[in-house]
Amino acid sequence: MSLLTVDHLRAGYGPVNVLDDVHLVVEPGEIVVMLGANGAGKTTTMRAISGMIPRHGEVVFEGHDIVRSSPDSIVRAGIAQVPQGRGTFPELDVQDNLRAGAYIRSDKEIDADMDRWFEVFPRLKERRTQRAGSLSGGEQQMLAIARALMSRPKLLLCDEPSLGLAPLITQELFAVIERLNRDTGLAVLLVEQNANLAMHMAHRVYLIETGRIVASGSAAELSEDDAIRKAYLGY
Amino acid sequence: MELFLQRLFDGLSAGGVYALLALGLVIIYRGTGHLNFAQGEMALFAAYVVYQMGEWGLPIGLALIVGIAVGFAVGAAAEVVLVRPISKKSPFAVFVVTIGLFQFLNWLDGAIWGDQVLPNSGVGSKQSQYPSLFPDAPEDFVKIFGAAIRYQSLGVIGLTLLITALLFLLFNKTKFGLAMRAVASNPESSKLVGMRTNTVLMVSWGLAAAIGAIGGVAFAGINNNVSLGLMFTVFIYGSAAATLGGFDSPGGAVIAGLAIGVIETMAAGYISFIGQEMKLAVAFVVILVVLMVKPSGLFGTAKVERV
Repeated sequence: MSLLTVDHLRAGYGPVNVLDDVHLVVEPGEIVVMLGANGAGKTTTMRAISGMIPRHGEVVFEGHDIVRSSPDSIVRAGIAQVPQGRGTFPELDVQDNLRAGAYIRSDKEIDADMDRWFEVFPRLKERRTQRAGSLSGGEQQMLAIARALMSRPKLLLCDEPSLGLAPLITQELFAVIERLNRDTGLAVLLVEQNANLAMHMAHRVYLIETGRIVASGSAAELSEDDAIRKAYLGY
Repeated sequence: MELFLQRLFDGLSAGGVYALLALGLVIIYRGTGHLNFAQGEMALFAAYVVYQMGEWGLPIGLALIVGIAVGFAVGAAAEVVLVRPISKKSPFAVFVVTIGLFQFLNWLDGAIWGDQVLPNSGVGSKQSQYPSLFPDAPEDFVKIFGAAIRYQSLGVIGLTLLITALLFLLFNKTKFGLAMRAVASNPESSKLVGMRTNTVLMVSWGLAAAIGAIGGVAFAGINNNVSLGLMFTVFIYGSAAATLGGFDSPGGAVIAGLAIGVIETMAAGYISFIGQEMKLAVAFVVILVVLMVKPSGLFGTAKVERV
């Protein structure tokens, strides 16, 4: 059974429909990358999956239809989203940001998890009592990812993590995501404009244009297609 | 010296009431970014309810609990029924709606309890004075350096500090407090970590109104009566305290509330041409000067954020 199945997904803002007919599948343990230009509907897809906007069609997670579920029950089901532009709580310190990430949990291992992510992101540990708003862009992105992981998700949605980051930082970030996926089997659905880096770690890739999925396949298959290579990889 | 201490404690107890009103304003402002113009009238409604409970023979402890519960319900209902649907369309309209709520509640108080100062044996009150939270007989005072400080004043000051401490614990040591701070900081991300932001906002408004209710009851107790105009100036002082302390700082609201209470009492007492009529102006001159130097208030955070 697929972890996440999205079919005939339509969504938008008010009367404006952004997504026309999106379908995609994420298998357990996979890193799936969705590529698309500005305004193609990447962020809208993410927000539709997490229940942040009204949507129609089919969104099935672990066999349960979640297309009408509220954002908090979707988080409880095991989907955590790292929103575009990081979306940390700027007035809260790093530790409180992480505690907020564990909001749906009531077990005793929250502090242990926090220490674990501090090991993965040592710079967050150094700044644990600093307000999130005072962190650099890269640190905030790491905080946003760590916060999402605090809910112990089965699927991590990452909305353009490279946005506004230096290429070196982006590489570092993607390496962490790859390692998480390899070591813990965490499934990842990541949307990006920055195709080159993202395609390296993708098990499978979807291309989205004006609200529709126009191509899909492995990274190798897609980069053999001349038109796709020109449009998304720029060579 | 005696007179100074007397005035200090009078000022602090009035200031405690301003602080409680200001706390409510700050909680709502932090949660939804709105200035709740009806904060004082919500408190007044609760104060009338406590009067009514007294008429029905309930002891003040129980009456206060009923008043707090009614205050909470009024605040929560206002958020759900009025603020939430309207703020989606226009945040500015919410301000106008809270003015409407202010009018409505005052009208409602008048329709139920009339425009008399209560208790009033002329309209059938059984109580001789407003139910007081603290012992308030003529002999209920303690001598401090020769000054007679009434239990009433000490009680209101203590109550203010107690509520401030409880709020501090709620905000910083509980999961719900974390959610309140998170929703204030970034509502969108709060949803993404699984917080029910609507519930958080509803409870925030309820909590703000409940704290205001305690302030209203305490103030009616200090005054010995309740009337339709009771909370007008208290609300103005309360919003002044919130502004002075910094609209996002509960601790600042309390300190500023107490300070304003002391300033107005001292100014009215010591500077003869100011008196009761001008004391409002003195408080505002002080606030104006502070805000010119520090626009975000004494303890408010100027927004600094790296991008």
